[in-house]
Amino acid sequence: MALKSRRGAIARLGMAGILAALSIGCGRKEPVDRDKEIFADYGKRVDAYVSLRNRLADSVGPLDPKMSQNEIASRSTKLANAIVAARQGAKQGDIFTPEVSAIVATIIKEEYSRRPQRILETRGDAQQELKDEHPDFVPRINQSYPTGAPLATFPASLLPVLPQLPKELEYRIVTTYLILRDIEANVIVDIMPRAVPDEKLP
Amino acid sequence: MKTLAPIGLAVLACTWTASLAGQTIALPNRKSSEKFVVIGDAGTGDKEQYAVAATITKVHTLFPFTFAVMLGDNLYGGERPQDFANKFELPYKALLDDKVEFNAALGNHDDPNQRYYKPFNMGGERYRTYKKGNIRFFILDSNYLDPDQVKWLEKELSASGSDWKIAYFHHPIYTTASRGPELENRKILEPLFVKYGVDVVFSGHEHIYERIWPQKGIQYFTAGGAAKLNKGDTRPGQDITEVGFATDRSFMIVEVAGDTMFFQAISGGGSTVDKGVVARHLGPDTKKVATAPAAPDTLKAVTASPAAPPRAPPVVKQKTTTVTKTPPKTITTTKQTTTKARTPPRATTAVPPKKPPPGDWGGRVAHL
Repeated sequence: MALKSRRGAIARLGMAGILAALSIGCGRKEPVDRDKEIFADYGKRVDAYVSLRNRLADSVGPLDPKMSQNEIASRSTKLANAIVAARQGAKQGDIFTPEVSAIVATIIKEEYSRRPQRILETRGDAQQELKDEHPDFVPRINQSYPTGAPLATFPASLLPVLPQLPKELEYRIVTTYLILRDIEANVIVDIMPRAVPDEKLP
Repeated sequence: MKTLAPIGLAVLACTWTASLAGQTIALPNRKSSEKFVVIGDAGTGDKEQYAVAATITKVHTLFPFTFAVMLGDNLYGGERPQDFANKFELPYKALLDDKVEFNAALGNHDDPNQRYYKPFNMGGERYRTYKKGNIRFFILDSNYLDPDQVKWLEKELSASGSDWKIAYFHHPIYTTASRGPELENRKILEPLFVKYGVDVVFSGHEHIYERIWPQKGIQYFTAGGAAKLNKGDTRPGQDITEVGFATDRSFMIVEVAGDTMFFQAISGGGSTVDKGVVARHLGPDTKKVATAPAAPDTLKAVTASPAAPPRAPPVVKQKTTTVTKTPPKTITTTKQTTTKARTPPRATTAVPPKKPPPGDWGGRVAHL
């Protein structure tokens, strides 16, 4: 379940620049090493979450291909409840630490800046659809992603430059938030506000 | 033009046609062929979905397709067990009872947990491949085109041999509908489709029917109108859209016989709005795509009993146009000649669309 860092070269350079600026005069390690440390820490946090939710998933029973829709829905709800109960004290930054958030936000901002207007408009349209259907939706930790709300298409060219996630989790964008979502349980595991540039969004 | 008319008639004369309650099947309907229905954006649970489903069910009695391709947005709104019943099991009950196998892709309105819903036959996967006869299908999750999925697709495409290769997923990478194509997905997918010889791509998302001029040798269809409708949201004859229909809901039926794919787009009310044939890729570099939109009004003259024996597929004379593209690569596009002469397929680079004509595309719908 090792989490692999798959950032593009350009994103890496941009990030390295910021880290370099942060470390100047502070006697810190080389930026790239620091970068690796931050992503290694992020990977450990993700792995810890996945270990926990997989234990909980075992306790609610495996997904059996012979299950009825009732049974699938019931299992998903049980798993969500178990995750929320086990993470009662979960707070923003438990997984998306401030350090990794700063790096990821830079990656995203840099990636957006390289995209032509028509692509940004398409991304904006996907967010608009979500906003139209659920205008009051503000993501919160341990919240279920609203049933029936569209899952805005995740920008395909952004995914390869973000740290890769295990199959239990996915990134999603909700307005300017990057969220970490448990797919089977439909639970928001962590949020990163202001991660996505808002100047191109509705 | 004079010489083209007999050819058009020959097309019609060679096409086995069956009709019942206003629906006409203009496909060969051979016993040994692969037959399927294509529906997109169907899961509203409203009366429009049920009306289209009723038409599909009638078509099924004439054209016994054995499986259904679902292009995503399989369930809008809630996804409680009763929603699966009201938005899928009940409208398509007759088809499910007749053992029609549904194979769903995920749309942006679909909870990815739909992949565990047995009647969607997704095998617990967001993306997968399956085979029917000589067709290899690739279902993609266009909502979340992560590197693993892309890697998987390339591996599967490279191993798929000489079968027909048909990909389908929710978001169109070519469309002139108002929300526009998913350009980021196109950048990733198109090179793979071209490299490995994908023949046909179906998408939904846009609530219209649309046939795109072949792009780099690949035939693209948008068929997202099986319940919702974005009235007038198509630009037929302009930009890259060869045929568009957005005055009623719609779905498609498809038949693959050997190296030929016959398709027919049908409105919710049972009218034929487009039909034609696509030829399978013949090699890695030379690709033949032949489309044959019917002259719909002429079809009114064709009548045949549903009990009539299957006949040979249309034998048509074809007009071949060679288009050289950049990077240098020769694509031979073979366009079936019908009663109407058409301009050859345009280059991939889209011309900015002109303002759509008022009233959409009323002149080309045939009530049969």
